Amino acid sequence: MIEFRNVGKIYRSLLGNSVKAVEEFSLHVVEGEILGIAGPNGAGKTTLIAMMLGYLRPTTGRVEISGLPARTYVERNGIGYLSELIAINPKWRAETALVRYAVLAGIPDAVIPTRVNEVIERLGLEEHRDKRVKALSKGNLQRLGLAQALLRDDQILVLDEPTHGLDPVWTQRFRDIVEELRRPDRTILIASHNLDELQRLADRVAIIDHGRLQRVVSTGYEQTAHAVTRFRLTLASGHDRIHESFPHAEHAGKGEYDVTVRSIQELNTALADLIGRGALVASVVPERSVLEQQFREAVGESQ
Amino acid sequence: MIRASLARYSPWQFRDFVMDRGIAIAIIGMLWGYLLVEPMRRTMGPAFGGGPPSPTWPIVITVASSVVTLSVLIAVNGIVSTDRKMGYYRFLFSKPVSAVAYYAQLFIVYMLGVLITMLLLSGVLHMVVPSFRIFYFLLYAAIIYIAMGGIGFFVSVVTRFDWLTLASVWVGSRVLRNAYGSTPGWKSKAVEILPPVHKIDDLALTLITNGTALTKDVAWLVGYGALFFALGLLILRRGSLAD
Repeated sequence: MIEFRNVGKIYRSLLGNSVKAVEEFSLHVVEGEILGIAGPNGAGKTTLIAMMLGYLRPTTGRVEISGLPARTYVERNGIGYLSELIAINPKWRAETALVRYAVLAGIPDAVIPTRVNEVIERLGLEEHRDKRVKALSKGNLQRLGLAQALLRDDQILVLDEPTHGLDPVWTQRFRDIVEELRRPDRTILIASHNLDELQRLADRVAIIDHGRLQRVVSTGYEQTAHAVTRFRLTLASGHDRIHESFPHAEHAGKGEYDVTVRSIQELNTALADLIGRGALVASVVPERSVLEQQFREAVGESQ
Repeated sequence: MIRASLARYSPWQFRDFVMDRGIAIAIIGMLWGYLLVEPMRRTMGPAFGGGPPSPTWPIVITVASSVVTLSVLIAVNGIVSTDRKMGYYRFLFSKPVSAVAYYAQLFIVYMLGVLITMLLLSGVLHMVVPSFRIFYFLLYAAIIYIAMGGIGFFVSVVTRFDWLTLASVWVGSRVLRNAYGSTPGWKSKAVEILPPVHKIDDLALTLITNGTALTKDVAWLVGYGALFFALGLLILRRGSLAD
C-alpha cells in the first residue's frame, strides 16, 4: 500500500549548509495495518510524513502509494491527515472550516451538512461550531483538526501527534475512535511521542532516530515470552509470602515489589505459587512496555 | 472529480477575496481618488469633469491607473506564500485537489474580484467625471492584473516576501529602464528583459481615454505576465508545497 524506497531528504540553506533530515529510509506499510512512527524530537517523523503526502520531494529515493507517486495518489484520492501543527485560518468559524474542507474533499453538496454534523458530534464540537478558530482552546482545535481528517471515508489516515493537547477523557475517546476506524482496507499511520499510546493502538511501530529507521517493532507480547523482563507487583495481602515465590523480589514501598523473570512462563508459575500461598495480587505491570524497551535500545544504539 | 470540487470551492475563494482584500482595495481606492480629485473639483467648479482636452484629464488617468496598480499589488500579495507561511496548505492539499489547479483558479477568481472592485470605483468616478469610460478602464485593469499579477504570482511561489519583492521589481524596473533604456551598449539590451513597466503610462492614457493601444505593448505586458504566471504554476508542479 505505502512504500518508502530508500528515501532521503536533505535540507539545504541558501548559505550552503545542509541538514540530513531522513536517510536511506525503506519501509512497506500494508493495507489494514496501523503503523506507529516513534522517535525523539527532530528524528525526522514530520519530514517523513510530509514526503508521504507529497508536500516535500525526497532528495533521494521515492514514496509510492498504491503504485503511484505520493502526490499523484493524494491528488486523486485524498488522505485523511491530522498535522502536528493545526493550521486553519483563525478567522474561519469551526463549522464553516469543515464545510470548506468538505467541498474540497469532493463530498456532494447534498451530503455535506449531514457529514459535517456527524464529525462535529463525533468529536464533541457541538457547542463550538459557531466559534471562530482563533477562539478555540488547544484541545478543541486538535479535535477540529481530527474532525476535518475524518470528513471523507479515506483509505489512508495519517495522524501526527494526534492526542497532543487533549485532556485524558478525549485522549481515551481518540483511542476509541482509532479502534472504530480500523478496517481491513484502511491503513493508519500514527506518529507520536507517546509510546504507551502506540503500544495500545499500533500493530507495528517504526522507530526512527537521526532520520534513519532503527527498527520495526511488533507491539504484541509474544516476543517477550522468552525475554528477561522486570515487573512491578502490587500485593493487597500476603506480603510475608513474596520471597517464597520470588526469592529476589525487591521491596519498592507501599506493598509493591520489583521482580525480574526470564520468561512470562516463569512469571506465571511464580504468581500461581504466590496466590496458592494465600497472597492477593492487586496488579502486575511490566516496568517498561515492549515498545519502550525497544525504543530505549534503538535510540541508545543510534546515539 | 477534482475540477468539479475546485469549481464548487470558487465562491469561498471569492468570499476570501472580498473579506481580506476587496473591501480594503475599495476603501483605499475611494480615499485615494477623493483626496486627489475632490480638491480639484472644488477649486475648478463646473469646469472640472471635462474629457481628454481638459488639463485635469491626465491627473484623472494617473489617479485611476495608480489605483489599479495598488489594487493588483494588494490582490496578489501572499496569494501562494501565505498558505505556506501559515501552514494552511497541509489540510487544503491532503484533500483530492491539485495545488496547481487550486492556485490557478484562485488567480482567476481574484482577477474577477479586482475587476468588480474596479467597476465599483470607476462607477463612482464616472459620476464625477462623466467622460470617464468604465469599459476601457476595466480593460486596462485586466491587462495590468495579468501583467503585474502574473509576476506577483510567480514571486509569491518562490519567496515569502512577495509584497516587498514585487514592489521592488516594479519600481526597480522603472528606475533601471529610465537610467539605461536609451544608453548605448549592453545595459540598454539587458534592461529590455525587465518587466515592461515603461509601457504602462502610455497604455493607461490611450486605452482609458479612447480605447486604443499599441498591440505590441499589450502583447508585451500580457505575454510577460502570462509567462511568469505559467512559470509559477510549473514551479508549484515540480517543487515542494512545504517550505
